[in-house]
Amino acid sequence: MKRRNWLLTGLAWALAVYLVPQAALAAGKVEITWWHAMSGSNGKVVDAIVKDFNAAHPDFELKALYTGSYEETLTKYITAYRSHTAPNIMQSYEVGTQTMLSSGAIIPVYQIPAKVGETWDWAQYVIPITHYYESDGNLWSMPFNSSTAMLYYNKDLFAKAGLDPNRPPATWEELEAYGKKLLESGAVKHVLSFGWPDWMFEQMFAVHNQLFADHDNGRSGLATKVLFNSEFGAKVVGTWARLAKEDIFIYGGPEYNANSAFQSGQIAMLLQSTSSLRGIAKGSSFQVGTGFLPRFEGYPRGNSVIGGASLWVTKGQSKEQLRAVWAFLKYLGQPKVAVEWHKGTGYFPTVNSAVQELLGEGWFSKDQNYLTAFLQILSGRRDTAAATGVRMGPFVQVREFERTAIEKAVAGQLSPQAALDEAARKANQLLADFAQMNR
Amino acid sequence: MATVVEEERFPGHPLLPYMLILPSVAVIAVFLVAPFLQSVQDSFFASTAFGTKTVYVGLRNYTRLFESSDFRNSALATLMFAGFVMVVGLSFSLAVAHLLNQKIRGQGVYQIALIWTYALSPAVAGAIWALMFAPATGIVPFVVAKFFGGYLLNWMTNGSLALLVVSAAATWKMLGYNIVFFLAGLQNIPQEYLDAARVDGAGPWRTFWDITFPMLSPTTTFLLFVNMIYAFFQVFGLIDIMTHGGPGDATNILIYKLYRDAFLYLNTGAASAQSCIVFVVISVAAVIQLHFATKKAIYAR
Repeated sequence: MKRRNWLLTGLAWALAVYLVPQAALAAGKVEITWWHAMSGSNGKVVDAIVKDFNAAHPDFELKALYTGSYEETLTKYITAYRSHTAPNIMQSYEVGTQTMLSSGAIIPVYQIPAKVGETWDWAQYVIPITHYYESDGNLWSMPFNSSTAMLYYNKDLFAKAGLDPNRPPATWEELEAYGKKLLESGAVKHVLSFGWPDWMFEQMFAVHNQLFADHDNGRSGLATKVLFNSEFGAKVVGTWARLAKEDIFIYGGPEYNANSAFQSGQIAMLLQSTSSLRGIAKGSSFQVGTGFLPRFEGYPRGNSVIGGASLWVTKGQSKEQLRAVWAFLKYLGQPKVAVEWHKGTGYFPTVNSAVQELLGEGWFSKDQNYLTAFLQILSGRRDTAAATGVRMGPFVQVREFERTAIEKAVAGQLSPQAALDEAARKANQLLADFAQMNR
Repeated sequence: MATVVEEERFPGHPLLPYMLILPSVAVIAVFLVAPFLQSVQDSFFASTAFGTKTVYVGLRNYTRLFESSDFRNSALATLMFAGFVMVVGLSFSLAVAHLLNQKIRGQGVYQIALIWTYALSPAVAGAIWALMFAPATGIVPFVVAKFFGGYLLNWMTNGSLALLVVSAAATWKMLGYNIVFFLAGLQNIPQEYLDAARVDGAGPWRTFWDITFPMLSPTTTFLLFVNMIYAFFQVFGLIDIMTHGGPGDATNILIYKLYRDAFLYLNTGAASAQSCIVFVVISVAAVIQLHFATKKAIYAR
């Protein structure tokens, strides 16, 4: 009996030691969680920002948790939401936008200030970025890490082939001519490759102000039909297939597989996300140049599409939690934080004041390459749905269809038109299913 | 002769045996049977990604699958992949194991060198093969181009090549495992039989086919089964690292397609239907294999 008492006392002590500080902490602080997909060096920047946020806000305790890739994060979020354990904030990639919009699981960010008794000036965010995440003119998720695609080229190889190293090709016609010269000079065996072939295909539509899907790219209503098997789509893929036949283009696989070929000087040009800039600039032993995405002559001008991810806020939170969430979203928009984010990762700063600060300190003139992508999105059109980018429910899957079509056409397995028609047929069935389920 | 009396193994405790197996049964029921039944049920429904709306669609998930060329291609790719892993992988492993079973110097070193591939994680193995075959920077395309007049070996666009490379990588990965078992099997064959065959004038080839191979049959059957399971279910990592199922879905084998439908495209209905189909196919294959195995394999000496 005596012994049992002793045990119980010990247990009580242990519990007390464990619980008391936590309880003390919890009493004063509102705890919120954020699930994100930022790993590696980007993850470290996230951790630093979260630490500073917590230090600056003694009332709030933000816990940031890396939950795997974008897909994994979304899948986990859905599972958690179904079991009522979803985090307060979640980072979703851009292709998941329609899924999140239709989810019924979130509060649109534009409604948050009113809920916590504040007003907010939404004009301070960089416009082509906000447009991507808007629905009916209102922002539904907070822009966080935004990138776009651009052209990278090897200045040393350009010089070797007798090309002006300060003049990247502006059009596909020019690119082809450059390619022939580079091949003739013997500097390379192949000239061009790209990452995210599906996304580059979408970029081409936006850059030339062509609609990718109906209902204004799925922005005035749910998209029910893709338009990418148009004459223009066949022209894009047809050009790539022709360049592949001429040994100018070499298909480099999905995502970032093509980067190594560029960085080792095996190819002279690369179309890739701007988020690769830091890695490419650091890991290449030659002078890296950058330029806008190549265009086709004689087509209207659009804009390059925003990629990356944004932050979504789960509905059904307490007012205190929502206040903490809002404090963090506002914090990310502070120029100091946005500048830190941009410098640490290469993603666009999302607020205008941060852009001004960067311009003021001469950041862009130090390295012109960081300016290229910015100039590209700021010089393009911002007023059409086609230039803003497409939004589809089953976007991830449609993207796979696009990639498969490109692979089949480039390999000569199918004609560009036939490959795109096949992809469109599959995509349209999914879009119909999605529209039916989310009516 | 005394009649055999049914002896009570747990006198006075008729329920005890059931109690003892209850934990195992419970674990199997909760983690295997229940999810399985759930996915059978899910295969008749379509739902939104967040599960906010679920609609009964009958057999639509199944009919869509059978109509879809993607699924047929995927099934075909899986069969070729599994065929390669089982036939080429096992023949090669047996040949290597046979060589390793000779009395040679440094036998241990060779054995370890050939077995260690099994210790690699699929991610590492995938990365090694992907780097070796990288079209612009890999060593294999470089050598091929050197010897075949600049022929470009690009598995990023050549589907058949990609399937071959992935199959080879998967086979290579499993090599160590197969060799260990074959080696053990070979070492279990009594030397007298082999000596007797030699005395009777049988050459090495004849000895192998008439003595060694039949005596190895339990091992071979077991390995066939394990390799089939491996080829169907455990190569996700390799495919994900190397090809993402591409190019043009050439390496989109069933298990990878299922993963993408379920976790990437959030299409639970279609994925559940696929898992049911794979389950049936594997069960049938297993039954056939075990049937033949028990008939043909020689377990007793």
